[in-house]
Amino acid sequence: MLISLLDKLGQLGQGMQSNIINSDGRERQASLQGAWQQARYVALDLETDGLDPEQHRILAIGWVPLKVPRIALNAADYGVIQSDQPLSQSAVIHQLSEHDIQGGEALAKVLKRLAKSLDGAVLVAHHAGFDWQFLQRAFSQQGIACKPLALMDTLKLEQTRLQRQKDWLEKGELTLAACRQRYGLPPVRQHHALSDAVACAELFLAQAYKIVGSQKTSLKGLLRYSR
Amino acid sequence: MALDLQDMADFLKQTPPFDALDNARFDYALDHAEAVYVNQHNREEILREGHPTLYVVRSGTYDLTDKHGKFIERLETGDVFGFPALLSGRTITNQIEVLADGILFCWDAATFAYLRRYSEPFERYFMQAQERRLLVEHRGEDSTPDWTERDIGSVISRPLISIGSDTSIQQAAISMSENKVSSLLVVDEGHLRGIITDRDIRNRVVAKGMDYGVAVTAVMTQMPEAVYTRQSLFDALTMMNQANIHHLPVLDDEERPVGMITTTDLMKQQRSEPVFLMNALFKAQSREALVEEAQNIPHYLRTFATRVKDIGMVGRLLASLTDGMTRKLIRLYEHEHGAAPVAYAWMAFGSQAREDQTLSSDQDNGLLLADGVKEGQREYFHKLAEFVCTGLADCGIRLCPGDVMAMNPKWNKTSLEWQQQIKKWVQSPTPDAIMHSMIFFDSRMIAGNQQLYRRHREAIGKIAQRDIFLGNIGRHIGELNVPLGLFNRLRTKSEKGGDYIDIKTQGVAVINDIVRLYSLIEGLTMPATPARLQALQSHKLLTAKDNQNLLEAWQFLTQLRLSHQLRLQGDSTEPVNSIDPETLSTLQRRQLKAAFSVIKDAQQGVGFKVGRGL
Repeated sequence: MLISLLDKLGQLGQGMQSNIINSDGRERQASLQGAWQQARYVALDLETDGLDPEQHRILAIGWVPLKVPRIALNAADYGVIQSDQPLSQSAVIHQLSEHDIQGGEALAKVLKRLAKSLDGAVLVAHHAGFDWQFLQRAFSQQGIACKPLALMDTLKLEQTRLQRQKDWLEKGELTLAACRQRYGLPPVRQHHALSDAVACAELFLAQAYKIVGSQKTSLKGLLRYSR
Repeated sequence: MALDLQDMADFLKQTPPFDALDNARFDYALDHAEAVYVNQHNREEILREGHPTLYVVRSGTYDLTDKHGKFIERLETGDVFGFPALLSGRTITNQIEVLADGILFCWDAATFAYLRRYSEPFERYFMQAQERRLLVEHRGEDSTPDWTERDIGSVISRPLISIGSDTSIQQAAISMSENKVSSLLVVDEGHLRGIITDRDIRNRVVAKGMDYGVAVTAVMTQMPEAVYTRQSLFDALTMMNQANIHHLPVLDDEERPVGMITTTDLMKQQRSEPVFLMNALFKAQSREALVEEAQNIPHYLRTFATRVKDIGMVGRLLASLTDGMTRKLIRLYEHEHGAAPVAYAWMAFGSQAREDQTLSSDQDNGLLLADGVKEGQREYFHKLAEFVCTGLADCGIRLCPGDVMAMNPKWNKTSLEWQQQIKKWVQSPTPDAIMHSMIFFDSRMIAGNQQLYRRHREAIGKIAQRDIFLGNIGRHIGELNVPLGLFNRLRTKSEKGGDYIDIKTQGVAVINDIVRLYSLIEGLTMPATPARLQALQSHKLLTAKDNQNLLEAWQFLTQLRLSHQLRLQGDSTEPVNSIDPETLSTLQRRQLKAAFSVIKDAQQGVGFKVGRGL
């Protein structure tokens, strides 16, 4: 994802007071109140050809389910979205070719698979608000219902944690790579939706254990760090 | 379809044994992987889930420990673990300590089984890894080492006190009294030339009325025995005992003298039983006094064994004590009957020579006489042999049932007679001849004339290098029975109402035989199996891995045997060299199998290398 440009996008996430998306029903309530380890998570990353959900499109989606502390790599999924439109300058970053895009899958097809996995789960992403805005728009355009339980933003988790230690954050301290390095996680290939989704899943586990330690914490409690 | 998990694929492609999978299996492995984040808080719940799982470390640092918290292995990026439980189907007992949090890749039992079934290199990797693991797993790293295991370098505190070789005897004596020491190293330009002790000055100067102005070179001991800073105190102790000296020069890795270590230094280390015991044996003034002191040996050994990490040291200590008692008995005999009429060498054979002696070892020894000995002079040596052998027996080293002893005229010969005897063995290798020659080729001089022994040992080494003889030994080794049956089952024998495996005859001795054969081929003359294996590292007969495996199997079996013997009470009717596998822990049983399978492989290796061309 285009982390280095995030500074310009600060306003995108700010409209959201709560990171709980849909907590209707007894099951979802139980998830929120229950231990954070018991919840179902899906770590996700998007490649887009721009930063504005109103005018730019999703090029690829990668996601992987988590059952703490396990990352179900064997249930990971990845889809390149089919399109015949030419690629913009963003191709420099995501490295998808027009050929890749032309041979991709229909957006609806990929979204249906994603919806199945994501419904009722906690969506984990680095700067989750950004991805969720793109997804919300895409889901509604395609007429697919998908209601995750909540958004867990690894960028916000990191921000909360760092701000408790110091008042001033340097530019670049919150990129996925910089965050991972802070937890001793190995460097990964960047700007590939699936790689970044797995990288984000690992980061989330490292952060959560760091924040929670051995204390009993509910999902709701952990989500507070991600606001 | 393998997902586009490029990072993981890149990583696994460099990680054995995944690097050896073909593309289809590799993709299969990728498709069936999970990742787990491990830290101090969740490590227990992860392993408690209890499903045998294959793990590869992606990041983080962990220590693998057994259920008692004993360290087994440090795990870092690229390391593989979890397979013992997968291979054996037994429950997981090992644990991990998390030193740095991180990610493990994991595969369930079904995936592991699939990959093993369809990839031979993958399967082979785990079979070998399992054997390696089993052989090291018993070794504890956490116990504090006994003082005898400490470096010599760590206890020499005094600065080096030395003199040049042109120093006069009087100057040397002055230097000794000024520094309050009883010995000095003679050093020229950083090279050790000799050692001079106050005893030398008493015996070689004052008693002989020599001029004090003469240079020390005239009375010093030239080229003395020395130890290195990195060796253990135990090494110093054994060398002092074996050479019967109380001062040892200490050299650094570049052979430069850095100090001196004395028996007093060793005694200061602790009220240490081995040193006191050795001293008591040295000081015994009569056969009766020696025999009385020797009664303490089994008790000393038991307490010593509970403290040392490397129980193999018990074998060395016992050999060293037997050496000391032998020397003492010889000296007592010489004291009463005068010095020997001709040069001779008292040789130890078998386990004493190899320094893997146990409490149940009998004595194996012989005498080598200078060729000029007259018939009338032999009587002296027969009586000497009888005195020493029966003396040792009274000290607890029982007489050899096979009569391999210096008191048997067949094992009490001149160098030429020995050579003829060995030629006969070499030319007509009957089973008896092979057995005797095997005993004979593990030999070490205990007392007497060093030069006589060395020349002799080299001469007989050359006699042995006949293909037909070596081939026969090879064939003999091939016929030895390793107690491992079909499907890797341990084969026991009924003995004294139980089912036992003889780990001496069917294990330790087979390794000794194999290593001895290779040493004969390469003309190596040292007797101890570990020392031989070390020397064989620079030869091509054994690969580095086979060499290491044999050493580990040997160490495991000798330790198992020793700890079994140390556990047996005096009135026990259990066999001393045999073990009932049912009494072993699961781990020990698996280790035992691994050791025997190493032996079986080595046995087959002998067939290929030595059997050919016959």
